[in-house]
Amino acid sequence: MNWEVIQSYLPLYEKAALLTLKIGWLGIAFSIILGFVCAIIRHYKIPVLHRIVGIYIELFRNTPLLIQLFFLYFGLPKIGIAIDAEFCGVLGLALLGGAYMAESFRSGLESIEPIQTESALSLGMSRTQTIWHVILPQAISSSVPAFVANIVFLLKETSVFSAISLMDLMFTAKDLIGLYSKTIECLAMLVIFYLIILLPVSIVGSIVEKKLRFAGFGE
Amino acid sequence: MTSLGLDVLFKGINMQRLLAGLWVSLRISLIAIAISIFLGLVVGWLMTRKNIVIKAITRVYLEIVRIMPQMVLLFIVFFGTTRLFGWNIDAEVSSVIVFSFWGVAEMSDLVRSSLISIPKHQYESAYALGMSEVQTYLSVIIPQTFRRLVPLAINLITRMIKTTSLVMMIGVVEVLKVGQQIIEANRKSSPNAAFGVYLTVFILYFIVCWPISMFSKKLEKKWS
Amino acid sequence: MKNILKKIAATGLAAVTAIGIIGAGTALASEDADTLYRSVDEIIESGTINIGVFSDKSPFGYVDEYGEYQGYDVYFAQRIGEDLGVEINYVSTEAANRIEYLQTGKVDIILANFTVTPERAEEVDFALPYMNVALGVVSHDDNVITDLSQVEEGQQIIVISGTTAETYLVKNNPEIQLQKFDTYAAAKSAFENGTGVAWANDNTEVIAFAIENEGYTVGIDSLGSADTIAPAVTKGNDSLLSWLNDEIVSLGEENFFHADYEATLADTYGLDYEDTLVVEGGVIAAAEEAE
Repeated sequence: MNWEVIQSYLPLYEKAALLTLKIGWLGIAFSIILGFVCAIIRHYKIPVLHRIVGIYIELFRNTPLLIQLFFLYFGLPKIGIAIDAEFCGVLGLALLGGAYMAESFRSGLESIEPIQTESALSLGMSRTQTIWHVILPQAISSSVPAFVANIVFLLKETSVFSAISLMDLMFTAKDLIGLYSKTIECLAMLVIFYLIILLPVSIVGSIVEKKLRFAGFGE
Repeated sequence: MTSLGLDVLFKGINMQRLLAGLWVSLRISLIAIAISIFLGLVVGWLMTRKNIVIKAITRVYLEIVRIMPQMVLLFIVFFGTTRLFGWNIDAEVSSVIVFSFWGVAEMSDLVRSSLISIPKHQYESAYALGMSEVQTYLSVIIPQTFRRLVPLAINLITRMIKTTSLVMMIGVVEVLKVGQQIIEANRKSSPNAAFGVYLTVFILYFIVCWPISMFSKKLEKKWS
Repeated sequence: MKNILKKIAATGLAAVTAIGIIGAGTALASEDADTLYRSVDEIIESGTINIGVFSDKSPFGYVDEYGEYQGYDVYFAQRIGEDLGVEINYVSTEAANRIEYLQTGKVDIILANFTVTPERAEEVDFALPYMNVALGVVSHDDNVITDLSQVEEGQQIIVISGTTAETYLVKNNPEIQLQKFDTYAAAKSAFENGTGVAWANDNTEVIAFAIENEGYTVGIDSLGSADTIAPAVTKGNDSLLSWLNDEIVSLGEENFFHADYEATLADTYGLDYEDTLVVEGGVIAAAEEAE
């Protein structure tokens, strides 16, 4: 292992890690919003939208992100829809993540017995109040483990961004290997940088998971 | 009128080539899935043992798999091992190794959680009825575990199939790479091929994965 | 809390193990790495030669609609297979993988439009050249770049990872922002879709692109030094290297590479470029003039 090489590559890896983080977290933020909206549409069976969302979820849960990105980035411009690589990365991740988040969140919603809604309504709460104060807190806390798993999964998926030329960690490593053939150093740095990004998420995730268990009902 | 670039698919044997490419990635995932199911059952059962050494090793193994992107693992196995140990592993074999490494971890974790989800009193009742350990497993524990496990395992299978699309990045000529080759060879005659070809690849993956995940959903509903 | 600590311990241990494996491996690295190639005899005995070519770089190395490899490089590869009396296993390669594939013994020869440079020559062994090349820059008709200083801040030039164009621009024009792609297919698609103001690559490649596609002009047809393209083998594989050199010299007697040009490149370039591009018998034109 050549430390000088590692030092000289360090700024490039840092830049790449920042890009990975930026796109990763933006994509995840949008995927949570999207997943949330889709889950509510699905759960409350809002007409028409509920079908469209259903198709979207099945399409994006059953195809690889890599293929989705290729289609979005290289395919769509051919019919006049050109999007830049970073936007495409965020969009791809948000669409993929949205489909997963929607399913996790929906199973959270479904885990709540109908009797709770009925009780809340009979106590004189409005429909919105019921959803906001009774259903959502429980649904969110019971879908947290799945949420955390999704976040880790989505952050890992960012490694395919290299295919649409985003200079993320994966691409930087490949590019440097191609340029200077310092394979071992490049791979070792790749591993370490992914550890730096994903270890905290994994640890924080398990802490959050424990803290949010408070709403477990009837256990 | 812009063409959608679907015409290239009917040139020569292009469609067959795409399907053959799809088969390359499917074959990798099928082999990896078979290995994962088999070893995953064994490792998952090991994890429920109270042995602290086994626990520690499997825990570390699970964490590595959970944290490292599969793409990184692919690169390490494909390029790294030759550099480090002098093993020359071909791209398809590297892919099988990586996907099995990942699949066994996920599978064994599923097996473990299904096993521990069976309440202790089930074991105890079985023993109280005079059943041996083997009998208890065969006729009490395994059938129940099976029902919890199968839908989850099928879910894992679709994830593995989807993830094999990454093997293109280490030079396996699979469906996406064939797609690129077709687009390149027809750049002049059919400039919009990128749309048609990538759309086709997208749909192909969907056709493979969707029925499998529908099946798993059905089982889950039926057995829960 | 105890569980969290356990989790942290496990993840920490995972990290240490991962780094440990790499560290341990590095210690072993240097010794084994150089015996990975196969000599000519071993290749003949096995009955198959592995040749790394491009599969998305028309007209040099690409795959036709029947799944057959075609192009200038492939035409030569075909002949190598015939003369060695072995089957050819084509390995599809990307620019950035070429050195790696040789050094890890995944292919015997790289015939993927591989430009000879001093840096690369430290990593692999080049045989005699079979083509001339320089760098070129192609841009959209409505904004033709004839000089690199025209590239404004915030604009990007497309390059392919692991090519001489990338190395050249990184070294000589570090102020220019590069948009890198790992495959020719991806780079061309992105360029067509309006990413980047220009695409820098081997001039042969950008000229072919401008000829084959409407709306593009090669504003700079020769950038950097005039280079050559040659087959490459794993460093130290002397038997294969000298076999290749003999082959190239003897093929020169039958004007093989001119025939290759006419069969594969004439469609794209016409016959005007034949003498500028082709290197016959491993003898570079400049050297001929000097004689």
